[in-house]
Amino acid sequence: MEQCGYNLRLYVAGETAKSAAALKNLKKLCERHLAGRYTIEVIDLMKDPALAQRDQIIAIPTLIRELPEPLKRIIGDLSNAEKVLVGLDIQPN
Amino acid sequence: MTASSVDPKAAHPPIPEAEQTIEAIHRGKVDAIVVHGPGGPQIVMLEGADVPYRVLAERMSDGALVLGAGRNILYANRRLAELTGISAEKLIGNTFESLFAADGPQPRENVVTQARLKRQVGTLPVSVWMSPISMGGGSAMLVTLTDLSIFVRAEQIAIAERFARSILEQATNAVVVLGLDGRITHASWVAEQIAAQPPVGCAFSDAFPLDPQSSSHTGALERLSRKNLDLVLATKPFHGVEVKLRDPKLSARSFLLSAGPLLNEVKESVGAIVTLTEITERKRAEEQQTMLVAELNHRVKNILAVVQSIASQTLRTSPSLGAFNDAFTGRIHALGIAHDILTRTRWVGIGLGELLTAVLAPYRGADEARVTLAGPPVLLPARTVVPLSMAFHELATNASKYGALSEPMGRVEMKWNVIENTTPRVEMVWSEAGGPRIEADARRSGFGTTLIQRVIQSDLDGNVGLLFEPHGLRAVMTFPLKVLAEFDDLSGVSDQTS
Repeated sequence: MEQCGYNLRLYVAGETAKSAAALKNLKKLCERHLAGRYTIEVIDLMKDPALAQRDQIIAIPTLIRELPEPLKRIIGDLSNAEKVLVGLDIQPN
Repeated sequence: MTASSVDPKAAHPPIPEAEQTIEAIHRGKVDAIVVHGPGGPQIVMLEGADVPYRVLAERMSDGALVLGAGRNILYANRRLAELTGISAEKLIGNTFESLFAADGPQPRENVVTQARLKRQVGTLPVSVWMSPISMGGGSAMLVTLTDLSIFVRAEQIAIAERFARSILEQATNAVVVLGLDGRITHASWVAEQIAAQPPVGCAFSDAFPLDPQSSSHTGALERLSRKNLDLVLATKPFHGVEVKLRDPKLSARSFLLSAGPLLNEVKESVGAIVTLTEITERKRAEEQQTMLVAELNHRVKNILAVVQSIASQTLRTSPSLGAFNDAFTGRIHALGIAHDILTRTRWVGIGLGELLTAVLAPYRGADEARVTLAGPPVLLPARTVVPLSMAFHELATNASKYGALSEPMGRVEMKWNVIENTTPRVEMVWSEAGGPRIEADARRSGFGTTLIQRVIQSDLDGNVGLLFEPHGLRAVMTFPLKVLAEFDDLSGVSDQTS
């Protein structure tokens, strides 16, 4: 994985409305601003709730920016693109 | 990455992250939270947690509502809106008491009470259950309302069903209820007894196969196939068609077939009520009545002919009006006695001794010694009663005027016997004694003796010998004691005397 790339992890709870919206919003944002510089890992906590411990997830959906460091997290359906860009500290292309 | 390698900063999120979480929850941006319980993390859905209960409440067949602290309606389900005729949105905010008729009973907590729910028009009987619950630190009241009109209606239907079944079971006629497809849904006890097979569920024509030749309406049933008959009975009024059932055991019995529509509460035909009324006895009575009227007509004519004949013959042989009066009255009286006996015995017949006792009663004196009767019991056919009565009357009248009974010491002895032969015959001997001496050349040839001879010979197919012996008359009469044709009992007399 490239050091300059964005390694993102999205925690969802099955096919719920907010989870689906979060994934959709994230993909759209990444394609627009991080094309070719990102990976997204989707973790469904409905299938394995224990995985919540890894990133101390409290609410779902939650997005974790693992890389570049420092670790950042954004909670919610990612519908506010501007807040997400700020929260992830993304420099738009 | 494992839990042990978690960045300490991530494991203890800074306050802004906690605020972010709360804000996201507050703004509805999340739909689940992770709860760390003793069994590890568990996912608790935020959105939709109450959906199943809300769907259940909305689909309930009972009305349901939630009351706030001021007994104002916080929630009302679809069914309550239907029951009241007011939309759920409009119900919310109203007081609970406003739902019910003011003059009716008011619901109470933890008790199922009956009340009258107000509707846009009228009220509806409901049973109300209400129970307080604790909700978010406050109190609320859960209420359900059950529409009792359904139960009332069901009870009414059950009562009506029991009533109808009771009528069916008590009915003395065969009564069946047909559905529109011609199949029997209910049957009375009598119907079950005469059905060719257990009737409920069968087509009418299978349960009660009709003999098409038996209908009183020419061709009414021949034109109908069995299937058509079922449909006609189920859908059209059908009155008073006389039928017989094909069952050999019932072939001697006649029934009147009728059908009328069975209507529901909106006057739609939902089948038919078919009755098979047994008219066997009625038909028999009608036939008997017709026969009796014809017989009565015949007998009246004969009696009139007899009376006319007696009157004319008596008049011809009477020297004076007074003599006519005596003779005619006596003969009509004898005729009356004969008819009294026939009526009393219903034209079955009478014992010979009994007939003699009745006819000769005026002549036998106080101790009955003047006329003695002796002979075995003989049952006379009805047709012999009038001729014999007339003959006995003539013999007694003769004796009282000219013979033994005209003298105080005179006696008459009447003996009879049955002569058993191929055809049993009755022989009667009338013997007078103690009366005026009869001269050798004396002969009686009045209407009385003529009548005796004619009735014995012609009406009874018998023989008579009148012997005028010096010490008194001796009359020997015989006639066959056979079963003779009915209704001819008087015709012989009228023919012979006219």
